[in-house]
Amino acid sequence: MKNPIRLILIILVCLFCVLGTTSCWNRRELNDFAIVMGVGLDKPQQSTEDIQVTVQIAKPGGRKSANKEEGGGGSSKGYYNATTSGDTLFDTLRGFTHHVGRKLYYPHNEVIIFGREIAKEGVQPYIDFFARDHESRLSVWVFVAKDKASEIFDETPRLEKMPAQEIAKLVKAQSATSQTSTVRLVDFLTRLMSKTTSPIAPMIELSGEGNEKNIFVSGTAVFKKDKLVGQLDKIETRGLLWVIDKIKSGIIDVNSPSGHGKVSLEIIRAKSKITPEIIADKIHIKIEIKEEGNIGSQTSLENLALPPSIAALEKEKAAVIESEVMAALKKARKLNTDIFGFGDALHQKFPKEWKDLENSWDEIFPDLDVELIIEAKLSRTGRISSPAVPEQE
Amino acid sequence: MRLEKGVISSSQLMFLVTGLIQGSALTVAFITKIAKQDIWLVVLSGLVISLFLALIYISLAQKFPSKNLIQINDIIYGPYVGKLISALYLYFFLLIIPANLRFIGDFSLTYLMPETPMSVILIMFMFICAWAVRKGIEVIARTSIILVVITIIISLFTFVLLLKDMQLTNFLPILELSLKDYIQSTHIMMAIPFGEVLVFFMVIPYVNNIKQAKSSVLLGLIIGGLTILSVTVKFIAVLGITSTIMTSPYFEAVRLIDIAGIITRLEILVAIGLLITVFLKVSIFYYATVLGIAQLLNLRSYLPLVLPIGIICISLSFFLYASPVEEVESAVSIWPIWSIPFELLFPLSSLLIAKIRRLPKKQGG
Repeated sequence: MKNPIRLILIILVCLFCVLGTTSCWNRRELNDFAIVMGVGLDKPQQSTEDIQVTVQIAKPGGRKSANKEEGGGGSSKGYYNATTSGDTLFDTLRGFTHHVGRKLYYPHNEVIIFGREIAKEGVQPYIDFFARDHESRLSVWVFVAKDKASEIFDETPRLEKMPAQEIAKLVKAQSATSQTSTVRLVDFLTRLMSKTTSPIAPMIELSGEGNEKNIFVSGTAVFKKDKLVGQLDKIETRGLLWVIDKIKSGIIDVNSPSGHGKVSLEIIRAKSKITPEIIADKIHIKIEIKEEGNIGSQTSLENLALPPSIAALEKEKAAVIESEVMAALKKARKLNTDIFGFGDALHQKFPKEWKDLENSWDEIFPDLDVELIIEAKLSRTGRISSPAVPEQE
Repeated sequence: MRLEKGVISSSQLMFLVTGLIQGSALTVAFITKIAKQDIWLVVLSGLVISLFLALIYISLAQKFPSKNLIQINDIIYGPYVGKLISALYLYFFLLIIPANLRFIGDFSLTYLMPETPMSVILIMFMFICAWAVRKGIEVIARTSIILVVITIIISLFTFVLLLKDMQLTNFLPILELSLKDYIQSTHIMMAIPFGEVLVFFMVIPYVNNIKQAKSSVLLGLIIGGLTILSVTVKFIAVLGITSTIMTSPYFEAVRLIDIAGIITRLEILVAIGLLITVFLKVSIFYYATVLGIAQLLNLRSYLPLVLPIGIICISLSFFLYASPVEEVESAVSIWPIWSIPFELLFPLSSLLIAKIRRLPKKQGG
């Protein structure tokens, strides 16, 4: 008699547990999602509100017909952009439900783009949401738009289905040139939390007229605390990447030793180290850069596979690297922004002395004594050793 | 008369200790704000000090073989004072359970299911624990082997996958924190994960080989400590200074794993590891509490106490703290002080009194 009751009790308890594990409380079906691929923040032009947000939402139904060249208007795109404005970021994002009809879903968000105006005013009030919200991820890419962030999302995607995906791909492809910084939200936050190091973010802009507008990455935006203060061009950006050890690959053009034509050298690997020193109360920053590369192509006719030519090319290459780093350094000094993290390096090596330097770092940084030690090596010449010309005597 | 008929082996004891320590792996977030990049040093020094603490506990437990904390207190302090101290200890154990429940609840609500009521999560969690406790220490010890091994695998797996995101310069400058902060954070580290080994006073009597208990507790402590160390190393190396503002830096660090866009979003592993180790931790304290109460009141069995105590713990977990902020505040500034008498003063004085009164008088009592 006792057993059946016990059995029923056990079954009831098991059912209770099973029902609980389905997590139906937060049930959200896939067709109720509006999957956000990118978020752009701008300053509204007319209204008195503080922020205008553009989100790019994936439209799974539209993606199939996206390949066909039909004049279906907006309906053939695999995405659509929604814009609204409000006083705070979170409030505005939630406000999208007034005209999107589905609650926005952020875990697949790939990019955050700050418009120029809002970046100039400071990004601190807006970055907080992305760090705090449980749906947002720290690995999302951060960008600054040359003009308005909303325009960037209007770009015509070429290889990808959606502009936001294309922007995210641009970041991954940058390692081929190392002329763009790649900044995840966590990197941005780390620099934002540092007392001296300035945050950076790649600068993105739009080119082309009419319907065919395309994006390209055109340098690095430099922040002072949370405010946009300036921009590095491609050369300066690579100079910065040399110092912060973020160079993956890239091409360095140098003059041929004979003076005719050019030689393109490919960077295979590079390594750098910042060593701060304090000698007689004077701060001295030593940057060691070790680079190794191959000959990629040459336009001249001479045979470069000779020890003197290689040595000359290595010297040329070191000079180019030095000029790139100096260009970045000059810009950083002009903007008075410690984008290289010299302050943090000093802090790490001299914690005691740092306490006195910390507050006057803005005055110290522009006059820092920086020494560059560059070791550039050429290891291989590729499949041919000398150009395809008749043998010369 | 024995309340618990089960017997566990000394290797099972080791896994239990490891699981208990691992259950606190995410609570190191309490001291990230104080210790910053030196947190790994704090964990290490906390571990070393608590090894000595554990030696005190073990030597006391070995003086009175097959006696648990309640019985030892009775012998040393006499029936009245001993019962009072035992009751205080049980209160101490009882309070740890809701604190951990609350931690699980807040974690789930922040990261996993923000709209689910906490009571649902906690009741289900506590139900499983109650079931384990009803089945006795043998069952908890056996599950501990599986669960601890899973946790260690998760820990190693995420460590390897995070290697490429680690930056060793994040650890510099070493020892920047002031002496006061260092002592405070080491004390918190000692009190919250490591000092809780104290609860094994209630378990050691059921180990079949009491001589090996010493090495298993110490080894378990070291393995658990190393797991916590690896957690702190991971998040400091990956997140750097950002880890100081995160409510759960370990979880955030693992979120960043991205191997070729395929192996991503592994953070749920951390949540699983947390759930299973906290299950172990809560079960052990739960078991110690009900067993202790049964012993104190001279009951024939502890089984009738399991459900009432579970219900009290769930209710307490709602009343104990108004918010997670308060929980962190209490863990940082109140709990470590409150635990000093239990984790240090009483065991020390017990050992002294036992020496002076030449207890135990007869071998085995």
